[in-house]
Amino acid sequence: MSQSAADGYKNNRVGPVLRASDMTEAIVDAAREDNPGKQIRVDDKGAYVRVDTEGELIIRRATLESNLGRPYTMSEFEITLGSFAGRIETTNEFIRFYFNKSI
Amino acid sequence: MTVMDRSEWYDIARDTNWSPSFVREQEMFPPQMTGGFGLAREKWVGYDEPYKTSYPEYVRIQREKDAAAYSVKAALERNKLFETADAGWLSILKQHYGAIALGEYAAMSAEARMARFGLASGMRNMATFGMMDENRHTQLQLYFPHEHCNKDRQFDWAHKAYHTNEWAAIAARHTFDDLFLSRDATSIAVMLTFAFETGFTNMQFLGLAADAAEVGDYTFSSLISSIQTDESRHAQIGGPALQILVESGKKEEAEKLVYIGIARAWRLFSVLTGPAMDYYTPLSHRKQSFKEFMLEWIVGQFERSLIELGLDLPWYWEKMIAEFEYQHHAYHLGVWFWRPTVWWNPAAGMSPDDRDWLEEKYPGWNDTFGKCWDVIIDNVLAGRHEKTLPETLPIVCNMSQLPICAIPGNGWNVKDYPKEFEGRTYHFNSEIDRWIFETDPARYRGHMTIVDRLLAGHIQPPDLSGALKYMNLSPGECGDDAHKFAWAEAYRANPYAKKAA
Repeated sequence: MSQSAADGYKNNRVGPVLRASDMTEAIVDAAREDNPGKQIRVDDKGAYVRVDTEGELIIRRATLESNLGRPYTMSEFEITLGSFAGRIETTNEFIRFYFNKSI
Repeated sequence: MTVMDRSEWYDIARDTNWSPSFVREQEMFPPQMTGGFGLAREKWVGYDEPYKTSYPEYVRIQREKDAAAYSVKAALERNKLFETADAGWLSILKQHYGAIALGEYAAMSAEARMARFGLASGMRNMATFGMMDENRHTQLQLYFPHEHCNKDRQFDWAHKAYHTNEWAAIAARHTFDDLFLSRDATSIAVMLTFAFETGFTNMQFLGLAADAAEVGDYTFSSLISSIQTDESRHAQIGGPALQILVESGKKEEAEKLVYIGIARAWRLFSVLTGPAMDYYTPLSHRKQSFKEFMLEWIVGQFERSLIELGLDLPWYWEKMIAEFEYQHHAYHLGVWFWRPTVWWNPAAGMSPDDRDWLEEKYPGWNDTFGKCWDVIIDNVLAGRHEKTLPETLPIVCNMSQLPICAIPGNGWNVKDYPKEFEGRTYHFNSEIDRWIFETDPARYRGHMTIVDRLLAGHIQPPDLSGALKYMNLSPGECGDDAHKFAWAEAYRANPYAKKAA
């Protein structure tokens, strides 16, 4: 095992891992709009899509509603959220992934 | 009607702490059931579950999840997956359902223990949902394979496996009994929800979902990734518990539980998910290697979360990462060789192209595991099938209940890690397995591996036929090579030559 592989934990990437669904595009777009200036990485594995960025990633209900063109409640996010990197904060208005410690 | 924002009522609605007057506190929350290393209950008041939901939200969202999973199944039922899928893929389904479905039922019981005996209101609340989640997983994973039972009785093992003394079922039960069925509520939060669910379940339920989608089994892909959305929520029960333990000076005790949890999960997933990803899934549909999935989910994501919670990496972390290179190859070789003793048909995964892929993903594979397969191939081609089958049982680890094995070939390094305790010699696969035993020998001492049972005369006659009977494996259920050795024909005219680098 190369050292770089074993050192893979030395990262600060946070964000949702989405199950394949018709929500992916709207969520990725919202991640870009709601986190201005941040590079959003999208890694499509087919059955799941890893969306992440450095340190903190927020996705807002209002942005999703506007992207989807329909009402959206934040608890619906759970249907798509297969896993996530980082800590999570869940509210009625947004979902946030973050680390308290940076390494 | 205006609905109040959840945050405005959530804390008060889920606060079910009160001071008992009819019974003593200790009777309501007996330490044997609650755990918590003797911390006063006040310490748990600050427990704040990060992934929140409420009952109305839970019901609405779960209904939607179920509707989606069942409608994908209904829509694809005419797809004739059973008739058209590769035999290796069907083996993955049989192996998965048998090893997982009733394990979920055990997890439901563990969640129920947290729901009743958790020391924090938030833990009890989230575990109530977790308990219903695990019930859902059991029901789904018994129902989905059931349609195949009338075509192939190995699918009946989705329900049957845990009720038998089949060796893999013993290994799964031993692990789950240890991690959550026989633990207190606090330890369950740490070992089941944190160590097992935020880490390893992603491998089987999202990693394997990626392979399933590649194979075209959208029913399975949708089912298991749907299950993982529940896990993703209730797995968050453990994080805040760990935080309280660490802040209250119980870091070392908490870490020990986490380390046992990770070590035991790793063994189980390396025998379950490892062969499925690197051998049973047809080559053209493999999304990544098992090692690559481990690096993504366990190193990149889970290991990082240990650091975030203020935990140190386990003392054995580097040893475990080194095992990513070989442990599951050894288990695969063993499962294939002892194939009559499992309820699925192991796919050898051994075409020349498969071997090129294995060499690419695991440099050196041909000089180690490949040499064992060379002998098997020679025997298959010469019609000496009996030489590809076992006459005895392997030496089994007293912790993992899996064969003691390592790297074959010129550098053959298999080694027993024995331990004497109260006049009995226990055998372990590695320092890690032995360390788990040493953390609490009295807990583990009484268990007998399948080999211990053979030596004690529980298995009669003491040969393969007696072992199969003991494991409740009947003809038609015993495993055989998934492709009936068709893969070996590629070597008849052309012995395998390693692809030039």
